[in-house]
Amino acid sequence: MTKPEEIDWGQLEAIIDKHRGESWALIPLLQDIQETFGYIPEESIETIAEALNLFASQVQGVISFYAGLSLKPKGKYVIKACRGTACHVKGGRSILRYMKKELGLDEGETSPDYKFTLETVACLGACFLAPAMMVNRAYFGKLSPPKVTSILAEYGKKKGED
Amino acid sequence: MEEISLTINGKNISCPPGTSILKAALENGIKIPTLCYHPHLEPVGACRLCLVEDEKTGRIMASCVTPVSPNMVIQTDSPIIKKHRINIIRLMMANHPESCIVCSQGNRCELRQIAAELGVGQIGLYPMPHYTGLEEANPFIIRDLSKCILCGKCIRADHELVVVGAIDYNLRGFKSRPSTVHEMPLEKSSCTFCGTCVSLCPTGALSLKNTRYVGSPQNESSTICGFCGVGCSLVMGSVDGQIIEVNPSHKEGTVNRSTLCVRGHFSHDFLNVSERLTSPLIRRDGELSPATWDEALEVVAKGLKSIKKKNGPQSLAFLGSSKCTVEENYLFQKIVRVILGTNNVDNCSYGSGKAVINLINEKLNGGGRIKPLAGLEAAEMIFVVGADPTQSVPVVGYSLKRASNMKRIPLIVADPRKTDLVSFSSLWLPLAPHSDFAMLNALAAILYKRQSYDIDFINKFTEGFDLYCDGLSSVDLKKVSRFTGLDIKLMEKAADLIEGKKIAFVIGHGIMQQRYGTLAMDALLNLALMTGSLGGDGQGIYLLARENNQMGAWDMGAAPDFLPGRQSLYNDIIRKHWEQNWEVKLSPDPGLNIIRMIEEAEKHNLKALYIMGENPLRSLPQPKRISNALNNLELLIVQDILDTETTQLADVVLPGAAFSEKGGTFTNLEGRIQSFEPVVSPPGEAKPDWEILDLLFAKMGYSKRYSSLKDIRAEISNLVPMYSELGGNGVETWIKETSNMRLFHPDREREPIHFSPVITTKNEKSEKDYPFTAILGSLRYHLGSGTRTGYSDRIRDFGLKGEAEMSSEDSAGLNLKEGDKVRISSPYGSISREVTIKRDLSPGLIFIPIAFQNNDSRQLIELTQLGEADSPGWKECQVKVEKLET
Repeated sequence: MTKPEEIDWGQLEAIIDKHRGESWALIPLLQDIQETFGYIPEESIETIAEALNLFASQVQGVISFYAGLSLKPKGKYVIKACRGTACHVKGGRSILRYMKKELGLDEGETSPDYKFTLETVACLGACFLAPAMMVNRAYFGKLSPPKVTSILAEYGKKKGED
Repeated sequence: MEEISLTINGKNISCPPGTSILKAALENGIKIPTLCYHPHLEPVGACRLCLVEDEKTGRIMASCVTPVSPNMVIQTDSPIIKKHRINIIRLMMANHPESCIVCSQGNRCELRQIAAELGVGQIGLYPMPHYTGLEEANPFIIRDLSKCILCGKCIRADHELVVVGAIDYNLRGFKSRPSTVHEMPLEKSSCTFCGTCVSLCPTGALSLKNTRYVGSPQNESSTICGFCGVGCSLVMGSVDGQIIEVNPSHKEGTVNRSTLCVRGHFSHDFLNVSERLTSPLIRRDGELSPATWDEALEVVAKGLKSIKKKNGPQSLAFLGSSKCTVEENYLFQKIVRVILGTNNVDNCSYGSGKAVINLINEKLNGGGRIKPLAGLEAAEMIFVVGADPTQSVPVVGYSLKRASNMKRIPLIVADPRKTDLVSFSSLWLPLAPHSDFAMLNALAAILYKRQSYDIDFINKFTEGFDLYCDGLSSVDLKKVSRFTGLDIKLMEKAADLIEGKKIAFVIGHGIMQQRYGTLAMDALLNLALMTGSLGGDGQGIYLLARENNQMGAWDMGAAPDFLPGRQSLYNDIIRKHWEQNWEVKLSPDPGLNIIRMIEEAEKHNLKALYIMGENPLRSLPQPKRISNALNNLELLIVQDILDTETTQLADVVLPGAAFSEKGGTFTNLEGRIQSFEPVVSPPGEAKPDWEILDLLFAKMGYSKRYSSLKDIRAEISNLVPMYSELGGNGVETWIKETSNMRLFHPDREREPIHFSPVITTKNEKSEKDYPFTAILGSLRYHLGSGTRTGYSDRIRDFGLKGEAEMSSEDSAGLNLKEGDKVRISSPYGSISREVTIKRDLSPGLIFIPIAFQNNDSRQLIELTQLGEADSPGWKECQVKVEKLET
């Protein structure tokens, strides 16, 4: 994941250039940028629109519609806490509260060092692991507060560190 | 294809495949409630109110997006459908603020109307309104998105009708709302404030700001917009005889469909300002003071008669009006020619393309006048030369953008500046000012070299092609490239786009007002003849008239060389014919055009001038010269609606009526003749201009009286073949093409059209003291010289300053920053402006928007700076620029 000040604009231009003139290719192009930089810098909306012969407002509309695309820079590790029914019954709410406290982040927030982003998801589809969470693409289940602490520690979160 | 038959509410219906159920129902008089549907927009099925049930399958479908299929049995109002509809409305209302009592949409709110129809009062749901801030920083539109029901009409109007793209949906779910990029306020987005979204919004989410009156109008009636040459159909709402709001009309087949522009929507304040003239005025002891109609007309009639007796008819001159109606211009020139015996009649649009019109008229024998804008969207390719329609005639701009963006029609824009249209074009030819003729001839030369021309058309309808080919084969592309500043490769590319296609040329003031305008038009007509691009729909020459009735004023003979029907005054047979019609001897002496009138007044040869609905003191170059000339006159009569710079000098002022206060007819740039009725009455003692002219006829002792518009229309339709359908059935008719040059049928007899000589360069004298070329052009917020639009509170509040645009290179050279003040001077005068820096402007050019700051930019040009064959040459001039220290 790239911090905003570290964006390689040349690389971003190159990604856009790859799809120049292909107005159908908006989503693949956006995914490409999202994948490369971890988010889509707002400043690039006009450039993308111009390259694809679209209106800038259309490009923004697509980005803001899909959960998989983001205009805000995210942390290196994106933590997704499950808020599905099964997880809720198994105490998912207190797990989320605990995560918030441990990370010092609210839902949707990113730590100032761009290490962690905390998000919630309607259901991770891993109900048998309830309560469950994901860090980037890895699943963790049957969570308890100590387990959450140790998972976060694995990703470099020391206890008491903000 | 075979029609599909189905049953809706027990009625057997058949319609073509692909028709939506909703359309099929509407066409058969079955009403289905809708909120997101609009006939001019692509259906999206957002509101779900148009649900219908298929009895056979029990399926429930949104009828606006479901096509008919054979043997469907549709119920539009069954109990289950009703239940669903009521629930949808309840949910929408639960999400809507309960502010109906103070909402400006009032009873016009479609959500409220449908709720009432369905009997939804108490919704019985927990209210969850989505409050958002009110956005009202701009002076045109208030956005209260808490009232938005997400029907998407504004977004679709923005994308599909006016093709601006300022807004789209942003975010999803409960948070979803129409938004600009980066959620900026509208004035910082690409929004052009055409107001189309406001007219289409079913609720109060979008409303007009700075209305003179809050609430629904007492009366609504249709009329035709009095600003530019497009002639949009309007609905004007009035309360107590004052216009309070303007919307596009709901009629089908209008030129503007559901759109308007910022002027048409927001600039009608001039109708109600205190500067309106409400009583005739006569100058007594140096002061203009109120008089009765009888007194004022007595002074006019006596004055004109005695000056004629003393100095002869050539000492009188008359300015008709490109803003007044067809009927009024007809009467006006009739008074001039029949009663006063002179041809000294013109109108202020002389400088807006008369020379070019004369050329086309001569070559095509008056043909090719009918040019529906819809044809542009069916063209094979479009070539825009010297026009910025997105600013000057925005509704034409919409057509061009739709053609390019949605129909993918190739579009070439030839313009020294990167206009808004360039981003929609396939190719931009950034040529040097007034080098269009060279560029057009070079393109013809490239096509000739490729043997790409329509030889059938050439053989049947033209002569002199061999000579033309000789001219083309001697064109030196390198020389043209140097003269125009265009790369040869770029011109080759343009030729690629044109090759094998019929061209629709769109011509604006860049040609019509340019010093080599007639040369460019010659070259353009050659190219049109060579490619056979004349006679069909979506090809030929679209002339962008700036004024609402510019075409009609010329058609009615408000010109020194045209009799009504644009017939030549100098043709003895035609003149004899009109002498019989009018039972009078007509003067064969050529009349004075507007420039010659001023010159003759300067020389004290002209003694009296009668101006109807024009403000030459604000619109013509060199205002000092104009006011000196007008002061030389013994008698100046001004008939107008507003107290203007020109009425201040008058000896007699006659208060006329604005277009919304009288009936009449305007002829638009398409050749559409649109008649309209008054919406309100004129203020005070003001009278419709045709009534004033009728009274004047009587005062001058003419036997015939015109008691109604019907009488005038009957005379016109009788005598002018082009207008033979005027006053017939309906309010809209088209120019009747009396010329055999319209469709170019091979079997019809006609004179062949000559190719013109090929000219590719001109010797330009370089002006060392005035190194910049200033281009004068309009912005969409003002029309012409801005006499009327200048009164718009909203446009004034918008705070435009008419900044001069300069290239980044030149501004760096002069050490100028954005917003710095400069003095711009030419040999004729100087103005001061703030500077705005444009990256895309070529060095050496400077763009000055007209109409701002009392239209002072006209001080830079010379009144009599005529170029080739009377082309006015008012489009650009040489200037110098100095930084002003602050």
